[in-house]
Amino acid sequence: MASFARLIRLTIGAWAFLLLVIALPAPSVAQQVNPTASSVKEQQLLQELNRIQGRVSIPDQRSGVLVQPAGRDWREFRNVTLRWIGGIAILGMLAVLVIFYLSRGMVRLESGRSGRSIVRFPAFERFVHWVTAACFIVLAISGLNITFGRPLLLPLIGFEAFSEWSQWAKYAHIYLSFPFTIGVVVIFLIWIAGNIPNRVDVDWLKRGGGIVGHDHPPAYRFNAGQKAIYWIVIIGGTAVAVSGYLLMFPFYLSGIEGMQWAQIVHSIVAVLFVAAMLAHIYIGTIGMEGAFEAMGSGTVDVNWAKEHHSLWVEEEQAKARAASDGATRPVAAE
Amino acid sequence: MKAFVAALVFAAIVAAGMSIVLNSVQQSSYEAFATGGARVGDPGHNLVGPS
Repeated sequence: MASFARLIRLTIGAWAFLLLVIALPAPSVAQQVNPTASSVKEQQLLQELNRIQGRVSIPDQRSGVLVQPAGRDWREFRNVTLRWIGGIAILGMLAVLVIFYLSRGMVRLESGRSGRSIVRFPAFERFVHWVTAACFIVLAISGLNITFGRPLLLPLIGFEAFSEWSQWAKYAHIYLSFPFTIGVVVIFLIWIAGNIPNRVDVDWLKRGGGIVGHDHPPAYRFNAGQKAIYWIVIIGGTAVAVSGYLLMFPFYLSGIEGMQWAQIVHSIVAVLFVAAMLAHIYIGTIGMEGAFEAMGSGTVDVNWAKEHHSLWVEEEQAKARAASDGATRPVAAE
Repeated sequence: MKAFVAALVFAAIVAAGMSIVLNSVQQSSYEAFATGGARVGDPGHNLVGPS
């Protein structure tokens, strides 16, 4: 009997132990607490070396940070890296254009002038182009002065003249950014329809666009090269405008780090933009005979249009025929 | 040529207009980031003070 009772106690004890084990929740990985998770890591400590920070009594507490490591990285970019990127992009493009001009020369009008002209860009489109172009040239020169003025111009003209010039260049850079932005927006709207890439552009690119060699691949109003310039202006212009306004209104939308990033984006896009526009200016002036007339007087010779934009000429002639047919069509008597 | 001249005039007018707007909205940095007690009386003719 005693052994039976011991067996019962043993069985009850075993069940109780089993229930206790099942009832107790197993410690999950998610509930484990890492007591050092929020502690400062060695890398963070190393990054904060030489940080000089104190307390200030004025409302702007950011002024308490006198030196920060990220600021030194940004200064290294601004004073060294950016100058290399800008120098290589702009001088590289100039070198390519000079070599190209010396080897290829001006793209001539091979069929000669017909004496008849066709409207290429109406007055409003030329007006918008020149608003944007004129502002861009001033913005480019004044912007390059910020990056390259101190090492290149200051030794030549001295502190007094450089200070005065830089101040006026800074004013021009800020205030002319607004008509430039208006120009980019209007250019986007008025020329978007003709700048959507299509199959004709692929053929144009495969055949070198008439720039390489003496081929004249067909193109509508804007060929693939002009479409590339269009999208560089729209995307690049938007990037420099947005990043520029972030810099113009400090701390409205971002802190110091955001402004450093805005300056990095603004400066890199800007120097690449300048390099691309050098190529645009080249092909629109000394690179191609008759090209400047399109934005100068607004009209081009019909033979020039047929050589470089044959599909566009066909479209324009079809429109003219349709208009003349409509004008001469007899009207039914009532 | 008319379009070019008109473009220059338009750009100049917009720039001048925006200079008036910005100068009325924005403060010089010596004013924006300091209290009256910490302001420099006359910051002189430089890039951060009044011209």
